[in-house]
Amino acid sequence: MGQNISVCILSDNRLFRESLGRILTKRSDCEIAFSHGVSEIACEEPIDWNADVIVLDSVEFLIRNGSLWKPRKESCDRIKVLLVAMDEDEQLFLRAVRAGALGFILKDASALDVIAAVRCVARGEAVCPPRFCKFLFDFIAAQTIELPDRSVRLQLSLTRREQQLVPMIGRGLTNKEIANQLNLSEQTIKNHVHRILHKIGVENRLGIVAAVHELPN
Amino acid sequence: MKNIRVLVANRPRLMRELVLATVGDQPDIEIVGEIQDEMDIEDAIATTRPDFLIVALEKLNRLSVICDLVLQNHPQLKVIAIAPDRNSTMFYWASLEIKSHRIEASEDGVLETIRKASETAEKIQ
Repeated sequence: MGQNISVCILSDNRLFRESLGRILTKRSDCEIAFSHGVSEIACEEPIDWNADVIVLDSVEFLIRNGSLWKPRKESCDRIKVLLVAMDEDEQLFLRAVRAGALGFILKDASALDVIAAVRCVARGEAVCPPRFCKFLFDFIAAQTIELPDRSVRLQLSLTRREQQLVPMIGRGLTNKEIANQLNLSEQTIKNHVHRILHKIGVENRLGIVAAVHELPN
Repeated sequence: MKNIRVLVANRPRLMRELVLATVGDQPDIEIVGEIQDEMDIEDAIATTRPDFLIVALEKLNRLSVICDLVLQNHPQLKVIAIAPDRNSTMFYWASLEIKSHRIEASEDGVLETIRKASETAEKIQ
């Protein structure tokens, strides 16, 4: 890489900021552009951090303010954020990805892992802990492959979300399992199932599956 | 000359390595041991005979329990306890009845505490 990677570190843990900054500046290809506590930053308008990569340890801060951050180069369509997570939480990981994080690394990573992740994110590559890859694959599969035939929606007047639930119900998944796969609350799934039952006019989950199978192609 | 002996017992790994990068870079400080599991602290203290223990654990309540146990057995040991997910760092030195003294959670804060406490220990001796 020709130019140095300019890194911005945002964390309320000053020791973390300073130590990570020390490690990164020892690398010939990295420099620290900015280092600050997240709770001291009030984002109200678009911010140009003037950095290639933002290392952040607060997913809440990313969710609240990520949309206000401007990519450094106009060619980039995504802010290059590397999130260092203190909790090994799959839902947190999904929220970070949705909020725009390009990299996600866990607290049991080594300092070398963080440096490697900074370099990957700077190149525009995504970084994901191996143990979360399966979760991500399952999540994407649940979102796309399992959509039933369009006729189901048209003939039963199901919304897209309700339509998405039908094959999962058919596979025998519980509300809790569906909620986990779709990153929704169990109560939300319960409400969706209730509405599906009402629309189709059946009494239980078996009835939903049977009704869908009886539809003409 | 490296004359201050420090044992680092931190989890998560990233925090341990960052602390090591800071403390291990100092010309007057020697890292005498690095452990991940708090169950190994007693053995490591017996083996390495450190002046300081820097400890960080994921669970804050566990951190204070570990500090109390270590200080009961080793009142001369100076302990710096770091809460990884908070901006808080505590200093303990049981033989001087210093307990849960909040220090600046920064590189300077930690290094200054180590050096000042070492100077004091030398004067006492």
